[in-house]
Amino acid sequence: MKKIGRRALMLFLIAVMILGGTGVYIFRFIVNGPAWAAYFSRANSGAGGEITDRYGEILARCDATSAVFSDDPETRAACYHVTGDYWDRTGTGLLRRVTGGPSSYDYVTGTTSSTPVNLPLNLDAELNRVALRAIGRDRKGAAMVMNYKTGEILCMASAPTVDPLDGQTIVPDGAFINRCLAATFTPGSSFKLVTAAAAIETVPNIESRSFYCEKEYDIAGVTITCSGTHYTQNFRQALANSCNIAFAQIAVKVGQDEMIRHVENYGFLDNLNLDGITTSAGKYPLEFVGDPELAWSGIGQSTDLVSPFAMLRFVATIANYGTLVTPHLIEQNEPAESQQLMKADTASALRELMLNNVTAHYEPDRNFPGLALGAKTGTAELEGQTSHAWFVGFLDDPDHPYAFVVMIENGGGGLSVAGPVANQILQSAVLRS
Amino acid sequence: MFQDYMITFSRYLILFLSVCIIIRCLRSMLREKYEPEIWAYIRCGKEMIPVHHWEATLGRSASADVRIYRDGVSRIHAVLKRYDNGVWKLYDVFGKKKIWVNGQEIGPSGFRLENGTQINMNGVRIRFYNITTTKHNKLESGRTAAGKKFSPAFTLFELTLLQALLVLQHTYSCSADLLYLIAFGFFMVASMQWICYFSMRIINRNGFEPEILSFFLTSLGMSVAASYSPESIMKQIILVVISVVCFLLFGLWLRKLNRISALRTLAAIAAVAFLALNYIAGTVSGGARNWLEIGGITFQPSELVKVAYIYVGASTLDRLYHSKNLFVFIAFSAVCVLALALMGDFGTALIFFICFLIISFMRSGSIATVLLALSGAAMAGAFVFSVRPYVAQRFASWGHVWEDVYNTGYQQTRCMSAAASGGLIGKGAGAGWLKNIVAANTDMVFGVICEELGLIVGLCAIAAILVLAFFAIRSAQSSRSAYYSIAACAAMTILSVQMALNVFGSMDLLPFTGVTFPFVSTGGTSLISCWLMLAYVKGADTRRESSFAVRPIPVIETDLSDEDAPND
Repeated sequence: MKKIGRRALMLFLIAVMILGGTGVYIFRFIVNGPAWAAYFSRANSGAGGEITDRYGEILARCDATSAVFSDDPETRAACYHVTGDYWDRTGTGLLRRVTGGPSSYDYVTGTTSSTPVNLPLNLDAELNRVALRAIGRDRKGAAMVMNYKTGEILCMASAPTVDPLDGQTIVPDGAFINRCLAATFTPGSSFKLVTAAAAIETVPNIESRSFYCEKEYDIAGVTITCSGTHYTQNFRQALANSCNIAFAQIAVKVGQDEMIRHVENYGFLDNLNLDGITTSAGKYPLEFVGDPELAWSGIGQSTDLVSPFAMLRFVATIANYGTLVTPHLIEQNEPAESQQLMKADTASALRELMLNNVTAHYEPDRNFPGLALGAKTGTAELEGQTSHAWFVGFLDDPDHPYAFVVMIENGGGGLSVAGPVANQILQSAVLRS
Repeated sequence: MFQDYMITFSRYLILFLSVCIIIRCLRSMLREKYEPEIWAYIRCGKEMIPVHHWEATLGRSASADVRIYRDGVSRIHAVLKRYDNGVWKLYDVFGKKKIWVNGQEIGPSGFRLENGTQINMNGVRIRFYNITTTKHNKLESGRTAAGKKFSPAFTLFELTLLQALLVLQHTYSCSADLLYLIAFGFFMVASMQWICYFSMRIINRNGFEPEILSFFLTSLGMSVAASYSPESIMKQIILVVISVVCFLLFGLWLRKLNRISALRTLAAIAAVAFLALNYIAGTVSGGARNWLEIGGITFQPSELVKVAYIYVGASTLDRLYHSKNLFVFIAFSAVCVLALALMGDFGTALIFFICFLIISFMRSGSIATVLLALSGAAMAGAFVFSVRPYVAQRFASWGHVWEDVYNTGYQQTRCMSAAASGGLIGKGAGAGWLKNIVAANTDMVFGVICEELGLIVGLCAIAAILVLAFFAIRSAQSSRSAYYSIAACAAMTILSVQMALNVFGSMDLLPFTGVTFPFVSTGGTSLISCWLMLAYVKGADTRRESSFAVRPIPVIETDLSDEDAPND
């Protein structure tokens, strides 16, 4: 009997395992309980909420019985990075806000937020769908459109993406990342706009200076190369040509301190905030690097990194004559706030330069028919990889005051790859209103 | 406004009462003194060694119940066994013999011992002394009685109050025409528990904690049934009555070991026949062919087979030391597990398998362990082999339930969400939403409890089963026969594993197997089998005047006078 009594401790082992499991459950309950309760919050609290786009199209909804997201799989995928999913895998999803979220959970009574929280967005779901189609499911990229007069974000699409309802499929690599807000990329020539802004404000008579390009240029023993051979050109032509040699010289002329001041001023180095979503901070060489590296940084190479959203703010500032209307993804009840981010004269000059870029080099009639476009391309060269294609700019159209950013990761040439995507989105945007 | 306060207050009170009930039972069952019974003495030289069980091993080993530390004696040399009629017999182990009584070597049928019989164990002489009824009763009165410190009546009163509060909460959430039916349901549970209690008092039994814990769980089950389908609550009421009656009858049956052994073969045949019938004529439900319909009444034979399995599997100590008996059991286990695997009842097959491991571990000495492990692995392989696509799917979704909320994770996610939305105190009985989902009253019952009565009550339900398990472990050391020890531990293994699979399955800590929560889940056969298994726990409870399943006064044929008692 002694032996039997001792062998009974096997059951003790099972009981201890159950106790351990219960401990794990309690731990999970404490950590995830609010999220669990929130998931079926309409059932759990008697009320839920909806995320709708600017035309009232439902993007996500909290409900125990019906689908939590849009009925249309394309919309679910196109707006995935806006709505997010239950687990908040994107980190930028708004779903938590309508399901009550952790703040409204009470551990004692278990009640979740009991008043319906509806979140009408400024977003136009159709533009997101168009953007996703234009970028394609196989490519990686980001597209944003913003009304620079009101601050409304009309389009925020990131690819690759997933359907938040379809958990079975294989998730494409990096699909959870919102490339608009939560990632930074080498900006390439699109960054020349920043260098240009700094030059206009710091280099006297910049617009009358001339620059000479013969494909290669030597700075302190380091060779800067250009995509073309532009010979003599003025500032305006240099930007339109996107001449590396001219902008290398300009950056050196501006100097690293002034470059840093401008980059900081436009928010490129900050973790920006879009309706409570924190975005990724960009990078610019802050330690002393010397002229060759400074030259490279002035043409958007070196260690420069920019998030598409920061670039959007920057071009929106230019488009709106130096005043940035605070961007909002969520519809605001209060009047829009704004801040003077750039001198009005500088912005006007840049605006004019960007309009000139299009008419002079981008073949607007063929590439962007009917659009009053001001833009800058970017082809960010990467070691051992295909370049990032950038196309950033604005519409000079009082009825459609839109600033936009299109970035295709490892896409290729700015104008040839990002340009058509921007065109498709902008054409739709103009038609929509 | 008053109503709101009442509801809130009752929610806290239910929580408080649940915790009190569990703590009182826990302390009473595990903290109180627990002196073993004394049934006889063995004299070895000058030493008088008490025999605490109806079955005891004699030998040189420290793990022998009666340790005779002399040269020539084997580690485990012999087994001493007392029969229901008070007769003591001596058996050798594994046919090794080397024991002589009155100059005769003992045979396979053992040797009957009288008071003062001298035993020669390979040259070492010891003497056996029986004890008188008077002496036994004197020893008995010195032991701590069950339920002295923690009156079961008071705990039962707390439980009754809890049941009343549950009725009160249901009045706010149920439709008016069903109110009386629900109240009647709880009234019947309360009646059953008090009837049980008073019958125990009449036969002077006071160890009522296992019943209280079970009635606590049954009350929670009644609450779930009232939430889920109040119109069919009458069925649940009848089942509770049947279960408790079965429990009492089976407990009384377990009092006598010789009639238990007489029916073991029959139980084994019945179990196999039941499974065979189930396999041939069973109806498929949820992927498993584990339902049988006879005359409009559906039931799950596998639930009753659990009880029979333990009945056959547990063994007395004398048989334990003869390996032949173990092989029969292994074959029987293999048949049961294979039959369940063929039916696709994965959860039950797993429970049987773990129970098999526990029983065989408790039975086997070191010799058979290797063999057991082998046969165990073969059986495990057999049911893995028969794993059905739906089982594989459940395994695939395990840990990923939130990725497929509308398909494979349907039940688990709803369970988790509802449980979380109950917080610590719950939404109130009948006021949840999980009850609207199919099978909320069986597979997802833990979610319903947590949602409506709160996490604390849910944890109390887990604790109730664990307290019973710890109690079985403790009783295993002091029960009269190895049969009771093994049966109690096996029963609590089944109930614990079943509970773990239910709770952790619905909370995505384990794959969702769809087994029932003991005593709580709605379901006829399941409830009856749980109560029957509780009888095994009662059979091992040898605290003084505690269990009705343990015979009260030893009947000794030759009552000896006090002078004959060993005191020299």
